[in-house]
Amino acid sequence: MRPLPAPPVAPFAHRLLSDDLPDLADDRREAAVAFVERRVATLPSVMRLGVSVLAVVFRAILALPGGWRIARAVLALPLPFVPEYPRLVRSLAYAYVWETWPTTSPTGAAR
Amino acid sequence: MSGALPAGVQVLDDTTVETDVLVIGSGAGGATTASVLAAAGIDVVIAEEGDWVEQGSVVPFSLDQMDRQYRAGGVTVALGFPSIAYTEGRCAGGGTEVNSGLYWRPPGELLERWRHDFRISDFAPDDLLAIADEVEQAINVRTVPAGHSAQSEVLRSGAARLGWRHGEVPRWMTYPHGDDPARGERQSMTRTYLPRALASGARLLTRCRIDRLVMDGGRAVEARTTLDDGRSGRIRFREVIVCAGAIHTPALLQRSGIKGHIGRTLAVHPTVKLAARFPDAINVPDDVPVHQVKEFTPHLSFGGSASNPGLVALSLLDNWASFRRAVTDWPRMSVYYAAITSEGTGRVVSLPGMRDPLVTYRLTARDKALLGSGLARLALLMLEGGAEEVFPSFKGAPSVTSRRDVGTLSRSFSASRASVMTVHLCGTVPMGEVTERCGADSFGRVHGCTNVRVNDASLLPTAPGVNPQASVMMFAIRNARHLVDQRSSHVR
Repeated sequence: MRPLPAPPVAPFAHRLLSDDLPDLADDRREAAVAFVERRVATLPSVMRLGVSVLAVVFRAILALPGGWRIARAVLALPLPFVPEYPRLVRSLAYAYVWETWPTTSPTGAAR
Repeated sequence: MSGALPAGVQVLDDTTVETDVLVIGSGAGGATTASVLAAAGIDVVIAEEGDWVEQGSVVPFSLDQMDRQYRAGGVTVALGFPSIAYTEGRCAGGGTEVNSGLYWRPPGELLERWRHDFRISDFAPDDLLAIADEVEQAINVRTVPAGHSAQSEVLRSGAARLGWRHGEVPRWMTYPHGDDPARGERQSMTRTYLPRALASGARLLTRCRIDRLVMDGGRAVEARTTLDDGRSGRIRFREVIVCAGAIHTPALLQRSGIKGHIGRTLAVHPTVKLAARFPDAINVPDDVPVHQVKEFTPHLSFGGSASNPGLVALSLLDNWASFRRAVTDWPRMSVYYAAITSEGTGRVVSLPGMRDPLVTYRLTARDKALLGSGLARLALLMLEGGAEEVFPSFKGAPSVTSRRDVGTLSRSFSASRASVMTVHLCGTVPMGEVTERCGADSFGRVHGCTNVRVNDASLLPTAPGVNPQASVMMFAIRNARHLVDQRSSHVR
């Protein structure tokens, strides 16, 4: 039972956090994304496999011109489990940001 | 790991270990089992996948605690529509180290129903409740010595105004600092039953994941392990008792090729949450309220959750665009839940080549409706408890500031858009003599096996409607004593 490789979530997580929390400082966003990567790397096997597939697909989409617009359109489709991907990334990142820097503003600005 | 380990505890380093009885898991089931067996003079090894983490070395409910004491950092999900997030302890002491420490005896009528419906032998409720008396003394079950937190008071006062039944739930705690309720010490397994087991000669091996049991017909002959450095190891035993929790106990049995009613009837208490904002500071980041509202039991109950700033942000996430304005008010906010007794069931399936099992859960239409009505009633409870604004955790939820908004909430709720979670997992190897519905016999021996037993939450035939750990400890002690008696009569 060899562990699966860590899902490549960083490009999507960066883009999502830039959109959600536009005033979050770069170093904080880096730290939050690194936390998301660490946690996703320890997901149980089946979840990790599912997240890996989604992460690879969205990484490919983000590499296209207008990739974020396409990604948002895909996320809006009524596909099973796809909305769980941004929810997972947000859950981890928001928990990290507000536990680490509790006075962060709703847009991500340091206070 | 935190500093020196207690005597009798060591990180697994040997490729071959021998023992009379191997207990897999050190939580509420494993620790009590090992304590009973070791006190009877039986040679016991406890295999624990996680580390021994000294209480007080991590902040309760923090991300650090999730890293060190939860399985997969607390990110585990039963897939379904909606999926249900759940958490499991993965450390010495298991779930007792990380949960709220609230203690509920199972209702007598529930024990009677289990006995009848699953044909459990020698299962007199009075005998079980006598064991509960012992457990309560051993883990010091008691109420808070002085005033309650403001978070708890919201539940009490809101329920009182509505005329709803409510009460303080006792916890396994001591209060050594002048009865200061904020400085209680949790009497989890690392403080109670594990030290007892170790003092009686049991050995606890940490970082010891059991990959599978090697079977010879209906008999297990050894357990295969993987050490930290990648070496393979084995533990030889006469008997093995699996106490790895309601997900990993059936998964291990399945990986070992054991068939039967294993992993088919996962039972949970699904919960939905909301965050409520009050006029004054209320947040306690590292503790939970001790009051619960039981007006609608056994179907529905209300209580409070961990509410550090990260968890408050999490509870606003489903409607971030409209709710995010509240996140900086976290000192005046707290998170509460509505839990239901579900009629749905789940499955745990070990897949070839996968280290962890696939877990699924299916809510019934009644469950989904109950979650919606539960959340609406919880919002009403919050308003009556003094909340100025309530933020339900489902996509498209309205914020609630008046009774009229509660109606809007109720109409707009959809379980498939809600963040549903649970912490109570059970029922995956139900015990009893109805072999088509039970994975283990009346004392936890796996049907079809001679020396493989289960002794944890997996044995509970259904979700009990209350925190299951009292039931787990009672059953585990009962079953371990039965094994001791069996062995004694064999020797005589």
